[in-house]
Formats: sequence, C-alpha cells, structure tokens
Amino acid sequence: MSLLKENPRPTTMGPHKGITRTVTKPAGQYGTAVALVILFAAFSVINPGSFMTAGNVITILNQATVPLILVTGMTFVVLLGSVDLSLEGTMAAAGISFVLLSRNSVNGNDFQLAALIIALIIGVLFGLVTGLIHNYLKVPSFILTLGMWYIGLGTATILYGDGATTLEPSPLVNWFGSTVFGLSNSFWIAVGVFCLALVLSKWTKFGRYAYAIGDSQEIAKVAGIKVFRYKTLVFVFSGACAALAGVIGSVKLGAGVVEVGSGQLFFTLTAVVVGGTLLSGGSGGVARSMFAILLLTVLNNGLVLSGVDPSIQQALFGCVIVIAVVLTALRKRDVLRVVK
Amino acid sequence: MSVTPALELSGINKSFGSKTVLKDVSMRIGQNEVVGLIGENGAGKSTLLKLLAGLHQQDSGGLRIHGIDRQLRNASHAAELGIGVVHQEQSLLTNLSVAENIHLGGAKNRNKDAGSSLGFLNWKTINAQATKSLRRIGLDMDPRAMIADLTFAQRQMVEIAKAVEVGEHAHALPIVILDEPTSVLEPSEIKRLAGEIQRLREIGSVIFVSHRLEEVLEFTDRIYVLRHGKVVAERETKSVNEEELFALMTGRQSVRVREDLQDFAEADTVLEVKNLSTAGGLDEITLTLKAGQLHSLVGATSSGCEEVVRAIFGVERITSGSIKIAGHPVDKLTVRERIRRGMAYLPSERKSEGIVSGMSVTENMALAHLDATHGRGLRRRNLEVQLSNMWMDRLDIRPRDGQAAIAELSGGNQQKVALAKWLCDPNLKLLLLDRPFRGLDPGAIESVKEAVRQACHGGVAVLTIADTLEEALELADDITVLKDGAVTASINVLAERPSVVDILGKMV
Repeated sequence: MSLLKENPRPTTMGPHKGITRTVTKPAGQYGTAVALVILFAAFSVINPGSFMTAGNVITILNQATVPLILVTGMTFVVLLGSVDLSLEGTMAAAGISFVLLSRNSVNGNDFQLAALIIALIIGVLFGLVTGLIHNYLKVPSFILTLGMWYIGLGTATILYGDGATTLEPSPLVNWFGSTVFGLSNSFWIAVGVFCLALVLSKWTKFGRYAYAIGDSQEIAKVAGIKVFRYKTLVFVFSGACAALAGVIGSVKLGAGVVEVGSGQLFFTLTAVVVGGTLLSGGSGGVARSMFAILLLTVLNNGLVLSGVDPSIQQALFGCVIVIAVVLTALRKRDVLRVVK
Repeated sequence: MSVTPALELSGINKSFGSKTVLKDVSMRIGQNEVVGLIGENGAGKSTLLKLLAGLHQQDSGGLRIHGIDRQLRNASHAAELGIGVVHQEQSLLTNLSVAENIHLGGAKNRNKDAGSSLGFLNWKTINAQATKSLRRIGLDMDPRAMIADLTFAQRQMVEIAKAVEVGEHAHALPIVILDEPTSVLEPSEIKRLAGEIQRLREIGSVIFVSHRLEEVLEFTDRIYVLRHGKVVAERETKSVNEEELFALMTGRQSVRVREDLQDFAEADTVLEVKNLSTAGGLDEITLTLKAGQLHSLVGATSSGCEEVVRAIFGVERITSGSIKIAGHPVDKLTVRERIRRGMAYLPSERKSEGIVSGMSVTENMALAHLDATHGRGLRRRNLEVQLSNMWMDRLDIRPRDGQAAIAELSGGNQQKVALAKWLCDPNLKLLLLDRPFRGLDPGAIESVKEAVRQACHGGVAVLTIADTLEEALELADDITVLKDGAVTASINVLAERPSVVDILGKMV
C-alpha cells in the first residue's frame, strides 16, 4: 500500500484552497555561476601563475567545447522529463562517418562540407528513431536511449573496421582548428549552438512547448499542443547536437574512433543536474547547464593543475554530483524521479 | 434570443463498455445565454462535458455548433470551433506565464495565429493579446506573471480568459463551459465569478455546471437536469425553486430503509473524534462510532469526507482535536501503530492503493497481518492458505482459488479480497471504507455490502464514505453530512428516518 507517504492528493478545501499544483522553482541559475566564480578564484589562489593565465583559460574553453554542445541538446530532453543516454553512441557513429567521408587514411573520400552534413543527418536519424519509438510505441526514454547508445556504438565499431582512421588535413578540418580571438572555430560553433538554444527556449514554440510538456504532458495535450511531434523534435535536436559533438571530437582527436564520446554522458548529465534542471521536467534551462559545464570543466582543469591524483579526481567528481543532487532534492523531493 | 442556437445536442448516446452513461440527451444553448446543468454524482455531467470538450466522442446523436453539424475529433477541434472549457481541475501550465497559457489556448487556429510565425514567438503580440483577453473579462493582470505565483481564484480567471480567447480565434461567439467553478472558491471570489459570468453572457454563451443549486438559480437563465444519463427536465430559472430542483435531481426514489436498525446506545464506543481540524480545511469535526455500528459520511465533491477518514487513519495531518480508539488517544500514533490498535482503511483507489496487483489472492490477504501467517520470522504457506480459504468461503470470493492472480479477479471480488485483508485481523475494531462500491457492478455491490454487514455483526465499527445518498440510507445506522469541511448535520437513521431530500438540503 502506498498510503504511508504523505497525502499525495491535492487538498481542495480550506483557507489555502485548491492550489493544486505548484512548481518548485530551482535556486536561481546564478547559484552555479557564483560557484563558478568562487572556484575560479580558489584555483587562482592555489595555483598562482598557472591557472589564471590566458593559455589556461583557452584550454578550459576548448575543453568545454564538446560538452557544451552535448548539454544543449540534453537540457531540452530533460526539460521534457525524459533523458537521452544515447549521445555517446550517436557521437561515435556520426564521428566515424564524418572521418570516413572526409579526406582520410583509409579511403579516397573527400566530401568536405557534405561529410559534415551527412554526419549531422545520422544524428538526426538517431534522434528521430528514438523520438518516434518513445512517443508512438510508448517506450520509456531511459531504456530506449540506453539501447540506442549501443546501436550507435555497434554501428561505429562496424565502420571502425581494422583500425583507427586518421583524418588528413582538408580545408574543412583545418577550418575547425583555426582560431579567432585565440579560440578555435570549434569553440565558436559551440557558442553558436548555445545561443541558438537560448533563442529556441525563449522565443520559439519548440522551446516553450518543451517546458509546457515537461510541466504536464496531459495538460499540454488538452491545450492543443502536438505533444508527440514536439517531443520527437527535441530528440532530433539532441541527436543533431550529439552528432556535431562527435564530428568536433573526431577533429580534435584527428582520427575516427569508437571511444570519441567516452565519458561524455556522465559529464553531460551531471552538468544538467548540477545546473538545476529538474529531471522531472518543466523547470530549468540551457543557461544553467552552460554554467554547470564551465564549473565542471574548471573543476577538472584546476584539480589537474593542483596535482591532485586522477583517481581522487574521479571520486571528487562523484561527490560534486551527490552534493548537487542532495541540494536539489532538499528543495523538492521528487525531482529525481524520471517520469517518462 | 437569436435564431440560431450556439449549441444544439440532439439524441446523444454514450456508453463505456456495457455501461450506458448518456441516453438520448438533447439540449439547446442559445446565443448570449447562461444555461445551468445540474445532476448528482454519476448522472453523466462530466461525460457530457468531456464530449463537448472533444475528449470523448458520442456513440450516436448529433451536435450542431452555430447551426452547423459537427463531429468533434479532439480537444483542439472543439477549441477551433469556439468551445472553451474551464475544467474542474485546473488545466494551466504552472511553469509558463499567463500570456503563454492564454496563447496556447488560442493559437490552435494556425493561419490566424498572430503570436508566432515559423515557430518563432512574438512576445509583444502574445502579451498584448493576453492583456486584451484579460481586459475583456474585466481583469487587470500582468500577462507576464507566472501561473505558479497566482492564487487559485486568479488562476481560474485566467482559465476563463483562455476559454474566451478560444472563441475569439474561431471568429464565433465563444461557448464557455464552466465545470463546478465555485467548488473551491471563497464567497467573495464567488461574487466576482458571478460578475464574470454576466460579462461572458454579453460576449457568448455559457454552460454552468454545478451541484450548488443556489448558485445555479442565481447565475443562469435556464436549467437542464440530468439524472441517470437522461435529461429529465428543462426549466426556466425564473419559474423554478430549489425544492423542485432537488426533487428533479434525485427523483425522490423510494429508498429501502433498513429493517434491522438497532439502538447502539448501550454498545461500546469504538471511535471518538472530537473537534478535529486539519490544515487541509476540516473544521471541528466531531463523531462517535459504537461497536457494530455503520456510520456513513455524505457530502459533495471536496466537502471533506475523504479528509476525515484519512485524518482518522493518520495520513492527513491534524492541527487540533482528538481521536480516540476504544478510549485510547491515537492522534499522535503512526499509521502502523494505529493498525495495531485495530484500525483498517480501504482507499477508493482500489487498483493503486488497495491491492498489490502482481500478487495472488492469498498473498494479498496475508499482507497486512504478516504476524498471523509467519512463524519465527519465516513465512508459513500453510497458515496463509488456511486463512485465505476461510475468508474466500466467508465472503464468497470467486474463483475460489487462492493462487489466482488478483489482477484477474473481477472488481467486486478484488474489493472483497481487500476487505478480507483487514477483516482477518482478530483485533480489528474500526474499518474505514472510502467509497467501497465505486466502479462495481450492481451484483458485486450487493455482495460487498453483505461482507460489510457481516463485519458489523461481528462487532466491528464501520465508517464509510457513501457515493450516493441512497447507499448511505440503505446501509447506515448514523449519517454525518459534511459541507466545505464542516459537519452540517448528524442524523440517526433509526430515530429520524430521513429522506433523500432532507439530507441533500444539508449538503448544498
């Protein structure tokens, strides 16, 4: 019997009549930003001369490039109350495809921009398949995207063939690496994706409906929102982001490997939670996730510079998540419930 | 009244499975008219509303909106045609702004959606439109306010604005349906709502659904009465009074009054509730139950019956008052301790709270009192089987197979298993039943009633929430009527022999 939990039913009487549903607002998104500044200051004090240098800041931002793209797509999925665990698989499949279609060490292909577009289409297809199955066959996104992850990895492994395919220099690949204001074009692409996401979340149906659906899918449906269509589009967006991240990751590595996205899911999902987007959906946003990505990247970078043992670093990262989760959970008990 | 009615229903039929909910319902709502729709719980009001909202489709019968035959496909189709519904449960997205919620309602008709182009939203237009919609019904509210920050009454006003907006986009006079809009409002807010309804009458038509007769009489021009899925009467509001509406609503059916009513004055007191109040809105509830007595709580939706029962069981926090079981105060005890003292609770959501669907009949019965079927910490199958066989006989549970998965049993038999789960406790003193017959077919209702009576004969005090007044009169020794969280009448059936109308008068 589930009676023993506190009255789960809204009470629709009395002086506080019928406030049937209220949204717990996450702590201001500046919480993460403030933590970022404090962390930055702390590492600057601990590592004078090595942390707070132009070179290191550039390193941090370049390091944040791939996660920033990934977290942008993931945030929208989480806003729906769903989750996309497939991104490492999508990254691998799209990344290797891109390498094999660009000028490379294995075949004579050299499709330039078309290679990038095809890689993105692969991401879109992954998202589309996920979205359609999730919505129309009513499969929970958690287990479905877990499957899609391995489909992506499997596809990448088949394409990988006998060994790593190295990227040969080509105009497109060189362009990704060339810098503007000291930062690579890859980074500026990530900034572009982030800005696009900001616009999407504030000024488009795509974004607003994601919030609406995350608050209550039933009410959104009754309000006439084409819920399945917009949910599917969100997964498509997330897939495209993962594919782009896969391409940029491969360019950075200079080769097409299955492990291109290894560890990114952990990092991305952590950032979404640390940023304060509720796993139950409807509350949060890309800006918070961006701050969280920077926070985690700075933490990672600072720990390395401070000479902390890598194995301890991992445990520290785990602690950061647990603390963030506890802080969120204190505000609203069921935020960690993955609903759909 | 203009020539073409805003809405015409003719011969609407609707059934769910074998249960007919609406039978040959015909109604007509004129332009600029406020029509009341009344009926008891289960009369078919909500089905009719869902039909008009496009959430259900009728099995047969015709629907004419502004003179054109229509078949509503879904919620957005109904909205496109200008039908706006203010549901009893609020349907606003709390994490969005007032303007966004209103826009969502009106934005369905794509080519007329000025607030967005190519998927991009124009906040200026959306906010301006929302301000306009709010003004039209006399509201001065910041369209950028978040719904989560508004009071219930404010939210309801937004809902009304949203419903009106729907009609605006359809380029027809809106037909606004208000489903029990007053049930959670304060008196001053109700007054305000009355003003809203007058304003709505000027810009469209209104269907006002309520079981509060005084409000229906005050707000409407004409009234339809629904009983058992049929329109039993249509009256001009001017020509009708409360008594007549009562009679029409309930049908004054003769109620079988119990033959075997006893006097419980001498019996032991099992439950004593004194001046019980809760944060949820219960106000100074007092009631007493004797061993073997059956006590029914009756009241309209959200009158507080459920809260009383839940407070007694300890799942609703109480702010003042006392609860005693057989003389011992229990209001500080946990649910588990209260069960030990002989309390049991059967919730109305049988599927979600009353049974464990994955388990067998026997396992379900043994669940609440594991001590009885366990020896030295281990489960004793033979004890479990003995117990379940005994209760399957006593309550006539079919199929008589303890191994059967409970999910495969009929609703009535599931309910009997849920009852047996508590009855098998030799220590049981007080059984709390929340609408125990809901969703059961008539045959099953009879046999569950029989099981409840048996429990009473065995000396258990039973407190039930009755679904209908007939049910209360047929079963109960005592009836307590609640309204808005307070007791409006305590009736001893043996002494007072009340009629349905007597009780209904106390409810509304």
